[in-house]
Amino acid sequence: MPPEFSMRSDSVDVDQLMTQIRARIRDKRGVDYTEEEIRQLANVKLEKFLDPTRVRSDLVQHYRQTRESGSTSALAPPPENYAFDDHLVYGSARGATGRLITSIRKLLNPLLKLFINPNPIIQVLHRQSAINAYSREQFDRTAALNYEVVHNLVVELTRLSIEVKNLKMRVESLSSRLDFSDRRARALESVVQYRPGMAPGAEVPQAPAPAPPAPRTVTSVPGGREGDSRAASGPIKGEAQRARRRRRRRGRGGANGQPETGGGPLPADAGDRQEPGSASAMQDAAAGDRGSSLPFERDTPVSTEPSPKPSGDQTDQ
Amino acid sequence: MKLAVVVQRYGPDINGGAELHARYVAEHLSRQAEVEVLTTCARDYITWRNDLPAGEEQLNGVRVRRFAVRRERHPERFGRRSHHVFHHTHSIADELAWLDSEGPTSPALIEHIRRNEADYDFFIFFSFRYYHAYHGIRATASRALLVPTAERDGAIGLSIFGPVFRGVRALMYNSFEERAMIQAASGNTGVPHVVVGVGSEVPADPNPGRFRQKFGVTSPFVVYVGRIDENKGCKELFTFFERYTRAVRGDLCLVLMGHSLLPIPDHPRIRHLGFVPDEDKFDGIAAADALIMPSYFESLSMVALEAWALGKPVLANGRCDVLQGQCLRSDAGLFYENYEEFLDTLALLQANRRLAAAMGRNGREYFQRHYAWPVIVRKYMDMLNRLRADDAAGAPSAAIEPLPGWFARRRSTLRPADDVVEGLPAGPVRRTERRR
Repeated sequence: MPPEFSMRSDSVDVDQLMTQIRARIRDKRGVDYTEEEIRQLANVKLEKFLDPTRVRSDLVQHYRQTRESGSTSALAPPPENYAFDDHLVYGSARGATGRLITSIRKLLNPLLKLFINPNPIIQVLHRQSAINAYSREQFDRTAALNYEVVHNLVVELTRLSIEVKNLKMRVESLSSRLDFSDRRARALESVVQYRPGMAPGAEVPQAPAPAPPAPRTVTSVPGGREGDSRAASGPIKGEAQRARRRRRRRGRGGANGQPETGGGPLPADAGDRQEPGSASAMQDAAAGDRGSSLPFERDTPVSTEPSPKPSGDQTDQ
Repeated sequence: MKLAVVVQRYGPDINGGAELHARYVAEHLSRQAEVEVLTTCARDYITWRNDLPAGEEQLNGVRVRRFAVRRERHPERFGRRSHHVFHHTHSIADELAWLDSEGPTSPALIEHIRRNEADYDFFIFFSFRYYHAYHGIRATASRALLVPTAERDGAIGLSIFGPVFRGVRALMYNSFEERAMIQAASGNTGVPHVVVGVGSEVPADPNPGRFRQKFGVTSPFVVYVGRIDENKGCKELFTFFERYTRAVRGDLCLVLMGHSLLPIPDHPRIRHLGFVPDEDKFDGIAAADALIMPSYFESLSMVALEAWALGKPVLANGRCDVLQGQCLRSDAGLFYENYEEFLDTLALLQANRRLAAAMGRNGREYFQRHYAWPVIVRKYMDMLNRLRADDAAGAPSAAIEPLPGWFARRRSTLRPADDVVEGLPAGPVRRTERRR
């Protein structure tokens, strides 16, 4: 858990501490976005994270525009609601004349009531007006709610997309670690398998040098014979091996101190036959590590020195 | 010097932030000047019902005059008007109607201020957003000081408050973040002001052992003190803490003190003690590892200051600019904006005792330097003396801008208040009053 923040003295810098904490969290979960950034991404650049053929990247913007303009292609703007009361039935908007007309209408109202009763009509229209106002308010509320829901959905979708992306990266990272571990395990297994084997049968046959120095030509053994010696019985094999060792010792001492195999090409299978556990083998094994830049170096004691020769060689000297 | 403290509610059992703030200020200033409190008969801030009798009484050595509220708040109407002015284009008349429906509508209080203005040297109004402050300041702008107690909500974006912020004699801000927000909203940088906040009556020797024994709390714990409400961030706190208990082994508990408006999760590591007396509260804070302040909106968290006064670190909600700013300036608290940060900061405070202790020491120092009562009273008195000196020197007195005409008031041209607030600068002020 987190208490890794060093407190070297009693002076506390909360700003710095919070920066450390946030950096830790970022490291733990990969790419980090603030709420504001997520909203910005949700509004502007969804196509970076989402499949544009499946999700509308400008969904929120589009919805907002539709809402602000108050109209869509399918839905025409609602007509203005009317305010209705009984004065409207008899009233007139013609100023002084209008007032006169209103008075006359009211005067004649009893006469009108002989033919029809306008009161239910007035009541119905009044109620309808109230219903219209109520519906409009409900519609506005629902629209606001829809907007909120859509907005939240898009934000959440963006957040999830980012998380999925992060998780994918993490899976890739883990997978490369696993590959590396496999390779390393194989390399180590081969060390275990071959180290005691420095046995005669595991020796690498020497290739004939193209322009061998004098001492080497004298003692060189034809390749065919090497192959024979590998298949031969113990004493013969032991003889061949001793000859090779003598040759090697001479090689070390002579030819300007160059190793015997230094200048000549290796046999086709030489790469496979490098001494397991040697620096080059381990470096090969670690090559995969470099690609993934994971911190395995400390865990694996990779030696840069060649591994020592089997002690049997020394006793033969 | 005769002062009037004007506040929406007042009483020993009224523990709302601004009301408690007003009571503390009135009681402490009464040692330096003659102080009278002008308030309403309301006790309940939802309805403003006249629960207390109108008239005069003495409370802790301060004379209190109460005035009846003419009508109770109609929550449905208030909600509708709030929705309209916060979310839709509207007019000044709409805002005034909103203010009227918010209350506490007490014309008698305003009339008293208007008639007896000359009897007081200055009026100190608390909470800009209420009826009494708006109309009271309009009645006596030349003698009005305002303690806005503003939060980052829609009310600060209403246009009717601009002239109020520009027209008072002085402003006593609670925090640097509040000052930045109000100055951006109203352009009142020229008005004399000071960031002062409020002190607290913290006992010198709280007894953590007494608390543990009384409530049977044996394990280490973090404490939340205040109303347990979704608006205070408590729901999020419960979620985060439950996840924390699953992620971190140990026996850290969450202890809650205060009335609950939320169901408390049935969790073995969450304890709710209900409303507790001050002694238990301070003992509890002293016994805790840290105080958690999960609120999104605070103009000043008194309980955070109390925790700092007691040498305890604070873990605050970083989405509240004021709390974050105070944590940064004091170096006495951490803050979180999501679960991961909550997890790491809380685990850090719990595991690193040395860090927690250092933060506690910083908090105590921060409190002593900025929020001890002598400091607060001195800031108030300095401001009042300065204003009186200005008056004596014949400086032009403040005049509040008049309301526009009948037609202009009804023109629907004002932006939704929430949009206005969104455009205001946000974020903590980091280094203004830093220790080093």
